Amino acid sequence: MKMKNNPFQFDHNLSRRQTLRGLSLGAGATLLGPLISQCRAEVDGKSDAIPKRVVFVVQSNGLAPKRIVPEGIEFKEHGGRTHAEQLSETSIVDKQLPEALSPLEPFRKRVTLLQGLSGRVAVSDHSCNHGALGCYSARGVHGQTIDSVLGQALPAVFPHVLLGLGSDGKESLNYAHSALARDTPLPAVCSPDLAFRSLFGSAEISGKAAFNRKSHLLDFMGDDVRRTRSALPASERHKVDSYADAFESLHRRQNAIGAMSDAIRRHTPDLGDRRYSTTSSEVLEAQFEIAGAALIAGLTNVVTITSGSGRQRFGKFPELGLPDLHSLGHGKQANGKTKEENCITIHQLHTRQVAKLAAKLDAVKEGDGTMLDNTLIVFMSDSGDDHHPRLYNWPMVLIGNLGGRLKTDGRYLEFPGYGKTNHSTIASLYTTILHAAGAPRDSFGQDDISLSGTEQGAPLQTLLT
Amino acid sequence: MTNMQRILSLMTDPSKHTSFFVKYEQRLYSIIASMWGHSAEAEDLLQETAKVLWNFSPAAADSVSFDKAAKAFFNTYCPDVMIRILVIFSVVLSPALVAHAQSEDRGSIDHEIKTFLSTHCVRCHGPKKQKGKVRLDGTDSADVELLRGVRAQLRDELMPPEEEPQPSAALKRRFLEQLSVVIKSAGNDGKLTEDKLPNKGNLVPHELLFGKPAKSGNGASLARIWRLSPKAYRSMAGRASRSRDVWGNLVEPFALIHERGIRDYAALYSMDQPTTEILVRNAATIVEAQCAGEMKDGKWRGLSGSEREFVALMDPGRTISDEDVVAAVAKQFSLVLRLKPTEEQTSRYLKLFENCAKDGDRREALKTVLQAVLLQTAANYRSESGDDEADASGRRRLSPRELAEALSLALSDGWVREFFDAADKGKLETTEQVEAIVRDVLDKGDRSPRLLGFFRQYFDYASAPEVFKDHLFGLEERANDFEKMRGRFPKKMQEYLGSKHMPDNLVVDTEALIEHILKEDSDVLRKLLTTDRTFVNVRWDVDHKARTKSVTQSFKRNAWNDRGIEGPHYVYGFSEWPKSQPARVPHEKPRLGILMQPAWLVAHSTNFENDPVRRGRWIRERLLGQAVPDLPIGVAAQIPDEPHHTLRDRMQVTRDSRCWKCHQWMDELGLPFEQFTHYGVFRETELVEDPEASRKESYKESPIKVFRSEKLNRTGEIANTGDPELDGPVEDAYELVHRLADSERVRQVFIRHVFRYFFGRNETVEDAATLQEADREYVESGGSFKTLVASLLTSDAFLYRRQE
Repeated sequence: MKMKNNPFQFDHNLSRRQTLRGLSLGAGATLLGPLISQCRAEVDGKSDAIPKRVVFVVQSNGLAPKRIVPEGIEFKEHGGRTHAEQLSETSIVDKQLPEALSPLEPFRKRVTLLQGLSGRVAVSDHSCNHGALGCYSARGVHGQTIDSVLGQALPAVFPHVLLGLGSDGKESLNYAHSALARDTPLPAVCSPDLAFRSLFGSAEISGKAAFNRKSHLLDFMGDDVRRTRSALPASERHKVDSYADAFESLHRRQNAIGAMSDAIRRHTPDLGDRRYSTTSSEVLEAQFEIAGAALIAGLTNVVTITSGSGRQRFGKFPELGLPDLHSLGHGKQANGKTKEENCITIHQLHTRQVAKLAAKLDAVKEGDGTMLDNTLIVFMSDSGDDHHPRLYNWPMVLIGNLGGRLKTDGRYLEFPGYGKTNHSTIASLYTTILHAAGAPRDSFGQDDISLSGTEQGAPLQTLLT
Repeated sequence: MTNMQRILSLMTDPSKHTSFFVKYEQRLYSIIASMWGHSAEAEDLLQETAKVLWNFSPAAADSVSFDKAAKAFFNTYCPDVMIRILVIFSVVLSPALVAHAQSEDRGSIDHEIKTFLSTHCVRCHGPKKQKGKVRLDGTDSADVELLRGVRAQLRDELMPPEEEPQPSAALKRRFLEQLSVVIKSAGNDGKLTEDKLPNKGNLVPHELLFGKPAKSGNGASLARIWRLSPKAYRSMAGRASRSRDVWGNLVEPFALIHERGIRDYAALYSMDQPTTEILVRNAATIVEAQCAGEMKDGKWRGLSGSEREFVALMDPGRTISDEDVVAAVAKQFSLVLRLKPTEEQTSRYLKLFENCAKDGDRREALKTVLQAVLLQTAANYRSESGDDEADASGRRRLSPRELAEALSLALSDGWVREFFDAADKGKLETTEQVEAIVRDVLDKGDRSPRLLGFFRQYFDYASAPEVFKDHLFGLEERANDFEKMRGRFPKKMQEYLGSKHMPDNLVVDTEALIEHILKEDSDVLRKLLTTDRTFVNVRWDVDHKARTKSVTQSFKRNAWNDRGIEGPHYVYGFSEWPKSQPARVPHEKPRLGILMQPAWLVAHSTNFENDPVRRGRWIRERLLGQAVPDLPIGVAAQIPDEPHHTLRDRMQVTRDSRCWKCHQWMDELGLPFEQFTHYGVFRETELVEDPEASRKESYKESPIKVFRSEKLNRTGEIANTGDPELDGPVEDAYELVHRLADSERVRQVFIRHVFRYFFGRNETVEDAATLQEADREYVESGGSFKTLVASLLTSDAFLYRRQE
């Protein structure tokens, strides 16, 4: 599987069907019983049983509304507000995508651009932090974020893989965007090496003996830690329990991974030096490769890739001559280019990776189509429309239709402006995705209290099939 | 069962004391508070208490005498005579109420909750309307999450809305207490209750801690474990191996929460799966370094940072025996924990070794065992369980080893050898011994990062570099000229009219000032608040010759003329960089103490403006010791964007009654600091945009801002402190800090914060004696911070633990 030189080249002979067949015959398969029977059902052509996948790509520093408007479509805003009275739709099948999104051209017919969904509840000075995926106030972790909910709705060995690029290439974990529950933020692994090890470690050269030793160690530690609990007062035991639980769940995962080792080995990405790189753009590239490989290997169905680590930590791209995204956000010129030009450069850096990921998924056959057909990729910014977000309009880019459950085939949609009748918030997008993923909800996060009278969080009927 | 029997059972079963106290803590607080404050309401409250106490259903009582039981109970929980009388009164002497209360059960609490909610809430949060998607009809004591929200809204006076009918004060208090009881009794499954969180320590009213002299005796803290701080973890790894590989390749597993203020609280941190994954990896890295060896000249030898005994076992020519494993485990224990493994542990490690060695590679199997030692609970959590033996009142003293670790990590980021040596020699047995060695360590360390760490978190000045500002800003007196040049002329020309914003340097200056004051170690808090000395760009101080000399010079002299105005010394008001430091600030541009250090001012500012709200909040919480409600959800208040008005004028929006509810706690305390610009520069007037003049100015069709001077209003007010000595208007920031520095309350609140830092938790009413003693010693020592720290670290609350 040589992806390094040309990411769009993919071995078509290696289909997911074969992978799964191989998998179910592998040793230790009993541990994966339910998962494998689900996979077998897929292979046998029951399309409903084909897993659905969702990927969130969250970029820092704002995605300005005008940057997602294709040529020839009129878009008006004033002070961040749009004024459409009604939902308007334009097909973009025959239109050229705007510059920031140009790498997505090959997928234009599967792209939908959303304009006019608001997210004022998450307003912040810069990043909306957990509020972006949680649809709640940017201060504090008020509840589970959409990606984590989907991770539970679309289970796999790794229910939810979180990868990221930190505030620079060196940060190892950042807890800025996703949350499992109120006050329980989840970390995005920002070091490709760390991410690689936890997802593909077993298939590495380390070999069976090392793998077994690790299993023994995890098993031993779960018990060892648990033994210390009896000496503690009841109120302290949860600390030891969570530590022991962590070992036990790592052990379970180790077993599951062991059972899938053939598939994992076959899909292990070749990251080369990027695995240890601390150069932002290389870290990002590596993380997207890891994400793609994890999805294809069937290790997970839900991935979040974040760039920047919340608050005012936007990330740094000195290798592109853009070491300070904050001053970029404030309109500072760099590289002899305007803010707009530089912002587009950075968007393209991300959308190019999104396109590579989409191409990779599209190259793997699944059911009657490809993996991409059963996937939804959401591209957005954690600070909505701008460096200093206003969030009357939170531009969203969707790629893929989640197995035909979403009507996202080449559309540009502008929803009624903030405060107008039938205005919707990003909560509605999230509930729409949940409906499509088979875990329906009709509200999400916190309501925008300034929007009285609107049914907040009702799914967007125009997107549902 | 008679009432007396119930009381007896409550008092004779030590295991119930805590749960009893925890359950009714809030209510006891209120009684006591109201007895000291508004005694008119006290009776009502007492009746309430009696009622609640009797909802408690104790197990069968035995025949222990009432006297003995009552004594134990009161000594532990009610050191103050007043409280004893109150509790006795409320519990024992209100038989009619008791009888009434006994008939009540959960159902009646539910009934009360429902009645209150349907009277005051359901109209907007019920079947017809669900404002904010909250629906409260049908809510009962089982809906704890919802009730938590109700309590917060009610307590912070955010609900019911002002225009709606309000519950009476007594009813409201009674309902709030009821909610507290329901919420507390629901337990928390290891979840944190609000009062355990950083920045919530002030929920315990100051009067309860300092209002009346507290009797000492039998002080103790709850037994607990405390996850290592990020630095202490590094230090643990360093004990295992000093290899450079370890230092460079360890991934940071532990982080502190992103919060302002003091935040390494024992209750906050546990280990989740991603953290554990990192720990496992780090353990492998450490063990690899410990065992690293190479063949040289036909001989097997260890690499730098390796552990001799382990390397010897890694010799390819050697077979590892079970005895070798036992010895290696013991060595790892002694390196990391300075403990011996128990026999039971040893045999389990041997078993692990056998399992791992099945594949044949005994060396790798041993490495796995050594990793397991690094991953055990005790290596990553510090234990504060107390010795095996409990004293008469059920307290256990920290074991010498626990104490050595607790003291080490209180005063350092790693282990302090003196403490462990003393523990080994049996010299940490008495409080006098502990005091002697603590003083000794404190006196020896002239520069303790842990002590400084307190001030860093307490004052919160170190976040100055995180507030993004333009790196170059116009001099106050040349602002209009600067605007004309901004972005159009070469950088050097702009610098002629501007000054550089160098927040990192400002932080170093403030830190140097704190260290200087700590070194003098007298009247520390007063000096911190009112000193007229400052360090100026000390980062480039000529004394630090290692720093780039050329930079120093360019900061002293401006390239374009000889006036030397640029650089941080301009911010402090100096016309040139003072050679002798700390320097007295120029008297025509005064600034006093940390709160007027540019680093603090910048850290408490926004990108483009001062932030009187956060400054005021800081003073309200950290000096006055009062709780300020968090920003209500959904409030997106913006100060109007009207650059032709002063910030003070624009902030008038917060005087709207809805906003003022919270802003009254902050704004007036922060506004006197309008004395300085948001870069921390002293100013006589405030520059605002002149729209008329701006319209006329432009350069190549792009507009240029023109400023005019507005009179500077520097007044403010200290209000609602409950302390008549403090309350009243202030002329300016100088009067404000002087009045604060003179206040006994402020000093005590400072001590409360020092307590939180060293204890890793919020103080409770039971810590009153510890706090008062620390305060007394601080005062008697003439304001010595070291004495204060030593007092806290030798208090019973630090030395003793009790189970719940």
